[in-house]
Amino acid sequence: MNPNTGITQELLEFIERCLNKTATSEELQDFEYRLKNDPEFKTQVTEIKTLLFGIESQALKEKLDDFHKELTEEQDQKVVSIKFEHFRKIAVAAILVIALGSLWLFRGNANEKLYAKHFSPDPGLPTMMSETQNFEFYDAMVNYKQGEYQTALDKWQLLLQSKPQNDTLNYFIGVAKMANKQEKKAIEYLETVTLSETSVFKNEAYYYLGLAYLKTDNIELAKKNLTFSSVDNSKKILSELNN
Amino acid sequence: MLEMQTIKSKPYQSFEQNQVIDAIKINDTDTLKHLYTTNYYKIEILILKNNGTKEHAKDIYQDAFLVFWRNVKQDKFVPQNENSISGYLYTIAKHKWMDYLRSKNYKKTVVSSAILDIEVSETDFDKINDDKINDERLHSVMHAFKVLGMPCKSLLTKFYFEKKSMKDIAKELQLDAASTRNKKYRCMQKLRELALNLK
Repeated sequence: MNPNTGITQELLEFIERCLNKTATSEELQDFEYRLKNDPEFKTQVTEIKTLLFGIESQALKEKLDDFHKELTEEQDQKVVSIKFEHFRKIAVAAILVIALGSLWLFRGNANEKLYAKHFSPDPGLPTMMSETQNFEFYDAMVNYKQGEYQTALDKWQLLLQSKPQNDTLNYFIGVAKMANKQEKKAIEYLETVTLSETSVFKNEAYYYLGLAYLKTDNIELAKKNLTFSSVDNSKKILSELNN
Repeated sequence: MLEMQTIKSKPYQSFEQNQVIDAIKINDTDTLKHLYTTNYYKIEILILKNNGTKEHAKDIYQDAFLVFWRNVKQDKFVPQNENSISGYLYTIAKHKWMDYLRSKNYKKTVVSSAILDIEVSETDFDKINDDKINDERLHSVMHAFKVLGMPCKSLLTKFYFEKKSMKDIAKELQLDAASTRNKKYRCMQKLRELALNLK
């Protein structure tokens, strides 16, 4: 740039008007003419063009940094939203766990209701006081029939020690334990009955075993055992479970 | 009876495109910001994949963006749609990055095999270097403007970059139009002198 190229305010404004197309047609004609025929004028125009372009370029360049900051903020927001997304996933998982948990609880409640609806202790065997051989057994049966389940259990479990595979003992101990709200413990006794080759109690044992599993919320085993039982209630419970 | 509906060709796209070009020419901040932010990451990926850093990416991209903007303003590049803008920016950035990788400074520290599959056609090269003639002078003006005193810088930015009217600027400065115009002139003088001294 030549410092001697004096550009007056008037000249600057005239050239600007011509460059940004706000000049009159007369001015534009003058401008074109001088551009062609006046080398000094041409230099001045080039210089002003450079100045204007330089100002705009630098102003934009400085703006680009602002744009760029927004870009990194955007990215930060993305990171935040990813973090949030992560948190959301955890939250969803937590809600799912709670939902399943409560479903399980509700299901549990439903199982309990179903159990309560259908469980009634086996009426027991008729007691024949004349039979001395099985006196202890029938003595406990009296307790059982009177609802003294723990007393009955204590007596039967003593007898079981000498006859651990006895199906009658195992059956009534199982049922008494269920009546005594010891469903979990009842399972092993009832299972012994269902596993015995021939037992008159097998059919009922499957039914009570199914109920015991129902009470302990093991639906699959409850269903499985109930299907093995021909007791009328088994089918009712099964259809209720399947709904 | 049903009338056949005549399907007119949509003038919308070209209209919109002209709007974008016009917006770029008047330095519309929203348009420029949109173009800047939507096209950056592609170039960042290019540079990061080719031995560059995020800082390199930013510098190269900003240079490319200025070239793009300058060429749109001078009608050297007339984008057909946003994709062509995107492609144009990418090509310039690629070229600039290749230049950098080939520069002596870079080669001193990095083996040449690091210069990967970056290709720029000759035509792109010519287009990009079209206005190299004014570059030196332009850069001295840019530098001068960078260091210009704040009152002048602000006034000139409002007038030349933001394209605000003299009337509005005068109002902002609480001056009459004549004094504002004179102030602007004096700022231009200052900038000229500064640019000459910095050269």
